[in-house]
Amino acid sequence: MIDRLTAALARSRADYTEIRVERTWSTAVTFRGRRLESAAASEDQGGFVRALSPGGGWGVASFTSLDRLQAMVARAVELSRAVRVTPPIRLADVAPHRADAILDLDGDVRGVPIAEKKRLLEAYNGELLAVSDRVVDTVASYRDEVSEYWYINSDGTALHELRPEVTLSGTAVARRDGTIEKGLESIGLRRGWNSVQDKAAGFREAAERAVQLLDAPMVTGGAYPVILDPELAGVFIHEAFGHLSEADFVYENPQAREMMTLGRRFGRPALNVGDNGAAPGLRGTLPFDDEGTPTQNTPLIKDGILVGRLHSRETAATMGERATGNARAISFRHPPIVRMTNTYIANGRGSFEDLIRDVKLGVYACGAFGGQTLLENFSFTAAYGRMIRDGHLAELVKDVVLAGNLFQTLDRIDHIAGDFRWNQMGGGCGKGGQAPLPVTEGAPHVRIEEALVGGDVPAGSA
Amino acid sequence: MIERLLERASRRADGGADALWRQVERTSVAFEWGRLKAAGVSEEAGVNLRVRHRGRVGVAGTTAVDASPDDVLTRALASAELGEELALAFPAPASAPPVATFFQPVADASLDRLMAMGRSLLEQLEREGCRVNVTIEREIAETRVANSAGATGAYRSTAIGVSAELWRIAGDDVLAIGDVFEAADLPGDDALGALVQSVNLRLEHALRVVAPPDGALPVVFTPAGLSALLLPVTQALSGKAVLQGISPLAARVGELVFDSRFSLTDDPLRAGRAASRPLDDECVPSGTTCLVQRGVVERFIYDLETAARARTQSTGHGQRTIFGKPVPGYTNIVLGEGGREKGEGGDALGGGLLRDVRDGLLVDELIGVGQGNVIGGAFSHPVALAYRVERGAISGRVKDAAIAGNAYDLWKRVGGFGADARWTGARYTPSVLLDGVSVARR
Repeated sequence: MIDRLTAALARSRADYTEIRVERTWSTAVTFRGRRLESAAASEDQGGFVRALSPGGGWGVASFTSLDRLQAMVARAVELSRAVRVTPPIRLADVAPHRADAILDLDGDVRGVPIAEKKRLLEAYNGELLAVSDRVVDTVASYRDEVSEYWYINSDGTALHELRPEVTLSGTAVARRDGTIEKGLESIGLRRGWNSVQDKAAGFREAAERAVQLLDAPMVTGGAYPVILDPELAGVFIHEAFGHLSEADFVYENPQAREMMTLGRRFGRPALNVGDNGAAPGLRGTLPFDDEGTPTQNTPLIKDGILVGRLHSRETAATMGERATGNARAISFRHPPIVRMTNTYIANGRGSFEDLIRDVKLGVYACGAFGGQTLLENFSFTAAYGRMIRDGHLAELVKDVVLAGNLFQTLDRIDHIAGDFRWNQMGGGCGKGGQAPLPVTEGAPHVRIEEALVGGDVPAGSA
Repeated sequence: MIERLLERASRRADGGADALWRQVERTSVAFEWGRLKAAGVSEEAGVNLRVRHRGRVGVAGTTAVDASPDDVLTRALASAELGEELALAFPAPASAPPVATFFQPVADASLDRLMAMGRSLLEQLEREGCRVNVTIEREIAETRVANSAGATGAYRSTAIGVSAELWRIAGDDVLAIGDVFEAADLPGDDALGALVQSVNLRLEHALRVVAPPDGALPVVFTPAGLSALLLPVTQALSGKAVLQGISPLAARVGELVFDSRFSLTDDPLRAGRAASRPLDDECVPSGTTCLVQRGVVERFIYDLETAARARTQSTGHGQRTIFGKPVPGYTNIVLGEGGREKGEGGDALGGGLLRDVRDGLLVDELIGVGQGNVIGGAFSHPVALAYRVERGAISGRVKDAAIAGNAYDLWKRVGGFGADARWTGARYTPSVLLDGVSVARR
């Protein structure tokens, strides 16, 4: 394949050309309650070409029929010439790489019959249903894929990779009279069949949580000291801060650039944030990004100060910085854009107990049902919460929604524990019509000295 | 090509088969932060096959269909082996109603024409202190559906999407205002002018920031802002939610549940809309479905599978992609008595509804719509773009405010419908005034 791509590339008349080809085999199984909703295997293949002519813009072509490869290279070049751009687009230098990488397949999912995948998921779904007869509904899904990937560019980079992925998720819906609560388990790994065995405990806990929440009161809305568990802290840093550190947001927008000036204080000295596409064994990890740039660990906030951002080759050249290996595409249908990989809040010091010891009344917010950031404002729905009273964990509460302003909230992070962990969840990140992109988030327990917690609508307004 | 696949499938699957083949060609131009940056094309073709064998149903999809036509059939049969028994009947041939889905000017539009359209928008929107992103995407598609009962359908379609987004960052105040034109036919100068006008109007009122009000207040939702109020209702009107036992409307067909002026229709036969089509992706002819009429719940939408399980008929809402199995999905959702054009006050924000508001909000965009337990109707969202309304007029933009309420309660009593009905994606609605929405400062 690389030879075929090299031959096609040789006939490009552009300054810069890159070609990506992917062939993906995937299986998806879903249970809804006791019923198998679907079990199906798919095959997807296609290619992507991007070209840059002198003084031209990006010419882009994607296609599912590989017979069209040569024609689509010509088309991308033609499109690039049709777009006049001043000043011209430049790309940061990246040394050429030639690599043949087969990531650890850890039990190649292509060799496992679909009936066996169904059996595995049926067992986990059974764990959800067996917890209590209050569990009235479940959704459990299994998805795997192996993607064979070829990439070449006119700078001399040629890559061939075999990339595995497997995700498992389960939602338990518990009901009593009019009250409905959910518990969620989600696992996402860049590995294979062996890595999703023996996962029953997490599914059981999710169902137990849903049942317990039936008796939990709604949290009383208001401003509290809030402790985020590592899962929610990871989602928070990805959504609320990570997207602003993607350089395509700032590189050609002077006002945004000013807001995100390196050296600006974003938090207290305890706060360290980064993005590490090279961290071993994670879902957001790959040896190279989709421009052939090696992935790396990029510090973003050091001791509370903004020190870095995530780049493609184009954003890096524009800003006079180095490419960081963050240009990613979800598939051959899309161009690479600046994305996160594995985003983290680095370890602090001390234990969870140290964080809550001096909290008289606060909220411990755990897990994430969802989150959205719009500009500098965010809203996150925790899976559940516990009240903190006089330095100790107290009752379970539900409907814990955190909302606030990013800058204020980062600045109010006053204590970070030393119990860091990566959250290997399914799902993924969405941006520019490309979702879900496999990413991972990691964090220790994090304390925000004051944050607004919604839930029961504050008194006086209902 | 799907005929041959179905022929092969019918030989190996004793309960028949159906298939969808779709080929899509897209052309796009992108202006990023005020500069033309990229032009692209994409060509995609694939097939989705469903078989019924020994009473069980299975599906498979592929974009590598030329390479290995038998693979997809083998995979569909393997999928059916695991599937549950289902009395799925493939519909017999029936004539599909005429609807215009293909517009030659869209297919003929050159790259230069698309770039000129974008450049013109950019020129009209650019101003000091702001940056503008514009993308234009044109799509030409061909769809073929067929089943082993002899039903077939084929149609070509076009679509165009023009989106503009204006960003203004002042210190740590980030403001983004955008709008999208989507249709099956090319936008005229009036439609592009309306897009510019829509962004300008909302920007003009957003420059002044005022304190949000607090309490149970009248809130006007713009057509874009209505998502949080309509999402629970459309979810609850899906036959799938009814089957799953999670639809609050399940047992309420024939009952007055909403304000008697609230009507909701799904209309796949609207001329010029990108979601329109003569038949659905399962060979069921298109027809208008009245979901709620004058406040009374009329019916739910079904595809073949959910209809078979609910022992009813498909309403022609089967939607399928190349991968995965068909699911019930809406086409064009129309709120109100349909087709009511712009009236007095229709060019103003709020469509003329603001004059009755002494103190309240105008909501254009919320954060986190779709999160949480949507179908129950309860919502609670920070505002992304909202304005304070005082003594019948907008006094400025509010930040750091959140609204909450229950969609079913609020829809029981509508304060008024605006004279500004328009398409927002595949949804046609005016602005709506709802009373007693909880507004909280942060």
